[in-house]
Amino acid sequence: MPRFRGANEEDNHMRTPRVLGLGMSLLVLLGACSTGATPAPSSAPVTSTAPSTAPVTSTAPSTPPASAAAKADIRIGSDNFYESKLMGEIYAQVLEKAGYKVERKFGLGSRQQRIPIMDAGQIDLVAEYVGSGLGFYDTTKITGDGQKNADALQAAITSKGLTVFGISPGQDSNAFVVRAETATSLNLKNMSDLAAVQAQIKWGLPADCDTNPICAGALKTYGITYPPAKRTALGACDVPMAQALQGKAIDLAELCSTQPAIVQFGFVQLVDDKQTQPAENIAPIVRNDYLAKVDAASFKALLDAASAKVTTEALTSMGKDIAVDQKDVAAVATAFLTANGL
Amino acid sequence: MDTIVAFFTDPANWSGDTGIPNRLFEHLYISGSSVVLALLIAVPIGLYIGHTNRGSGVAINLANIGRAIPSYSMMVIPLPLTLTLAPVLGYDPGFGLTFLPIFIAMTFLAIPPLLVSTYAGLRSVDRDLIESGRGMGLSERQILSQIEIPLASSILVGGFRTATLQVIATATIGAILGGGGLGRFIFDGLSQGVAGYPSIYSGAILVSGLAIGVDLLLAWVQRRLTPRALRTARRPTAGPPTLSADEDLQWSATAA
Repeated sequence: MPRFRGANEEDNHMRTPRVLGLGMSLLVLLGACSTGATPAPSSAPVTSTAPSTAPVTSTAPSTPPASAAAKADIRIGSDNFYESKLMGEIYAQVLEKAGYKVERKFGLGSRQQRIPIMDAGQIDLVAEYVGSGLGFYDTTKITGDGQKNADALQAAITSKGLTVFGISPGQDSNAFVVRAETATSLNLKNMSDLAAVQAQIKWGLPADCDTNPICAGALKTYGITYPPAKRTALGACDVPMAQALQGKAIDLAELCSTQPAIVQFGFVQLVDDKQTQPAENIAPIVRNDYLAKVDAASFKALLDAASAKVTTEALTSMGKDIAVDQKDVAAVATAFLTANGL
Repeated sequence: MDTIVAFFTDPANWSGDTGIPNRLFEHLYISGSSVVLALLIAVPIGLYIGHTNRGSGVAINLANIGRAIPSYSMMVIPLPLTLTLAPVLGYDPGFGLTFLPIFIAMTFLAIPPLLVSTYAGLRSVDRDLIESGRGMGLSERQILSQIEIPLASSILVGGFRTATLQVIATATIGAILGGGGLGRFIFDGLSQGVAGYPSIYSGAILVSGLAIGVDLLLAWVQRRLTPRALRTARRPTAGPPTLSADEDLQWSATAA
């Protein structure tokens, strides 16, 4: 707290744009303390407080004003959970192999903290989920189509001087999962199959489901009476939610599609056959002022080639390596890139 | 402010499973049962170490380690076990999710103040009184039940008050694991963004109101239980000297 107060005092004294950068870095510190919730696609659309006119601090002084072919140093950020760090690490290693010097600024809290940091020019690249990333600016434009979400996200952040690269085929979206034995005994495959058995099962849903259009709204689309009779409120994608499903305290859980617990416990993910959940493919977002310093086309080609190999299965198995088997993020990223010839 | 009033005047918040009366009942149920179990564990141990002065270092340090572990961890750590044991012991897995973990965490939270106050209460009794009891031929059991416990009763209830207050305030986190209680208003409100603020504030008001109410009730009980000769004078100029241990342990005894 004292540190925070100090920052405010300075703010009052100086009122220079540089203080904004200081505030941002404090936000990073604060963010690092917050729990790393997995990319809750339901994250509330907080109106961005960072002014789009944020003073672009004249970037890394070590970088000379380079010709288009130069390989300028790049700062890669990530949010504070393993999958975001993993994607940041994958992009970092691809660029390092191509001769770029990478500074990793991982674990910058959640979207609420990381977006202002990027807007202020403190990082050049971040791996983003196109659905939730778009939801930060406009929840109404989110669709079940990843490319549409990426395009809408691009439209939302063009004015900030940011570019969305190609999306990964894999995605980490909301997943309604059941135990394998439940799927067999109740003959569940699609979300549509739930309506017939809705009274028989115990539902594990997040507390914000009532007011969340992609939770309560989605369930109603499938003909489910909301709220279900037997319902327990647990955090979506949280470990207790997965444990409760495994322990049969609930029969259906809202998890994230690449959550290691799904592989670990052999849960069955029900197919979202009416496409109610936002597509959450992953894409790098890059600052245009950085792209101006490099050969943008070949830079993009490098990263797009890596993104193209990132499938949901790859994300899930890498997630298990990291979160369950406690392997090092960098080692997992290296193994993935080697296996894919990148 | 208006929204909080609206929350309390909305009839929907006063009926059914999600209404204030049921949540209040759930909260008292989980708090009460944890404190009762903690009493059953802590008081016998406290009486033993207080009466004999044996093993006090170990017992009190162990209890204080329990105090240092955050209640949230104490709740999440046993969760896999309480779920796994459900089919083995034949209870409903839902019970192992929404009741047992929080019950365990709250019991561990209540043990240290109960244990420490029982021990300190017994040690505060004048050694001369105990020796004269022995001289009169009282058995150790009689010394405990006729001299030590009556004289220490006010301190014992003081520890009980602390334990109860902490448990009522902390039991709110049970909502994280889908438990009931007044914490639901807070956690459900938190997940609704700005629209949930009235629910959050109302939940906080209800929890603190309950904690304060129960504490006042226990303060009254505590005063009634204190032997007349030892009662803390309402005015510092009158009456016999107060027990120093009494004041150390009970941060609100004189206010009551």
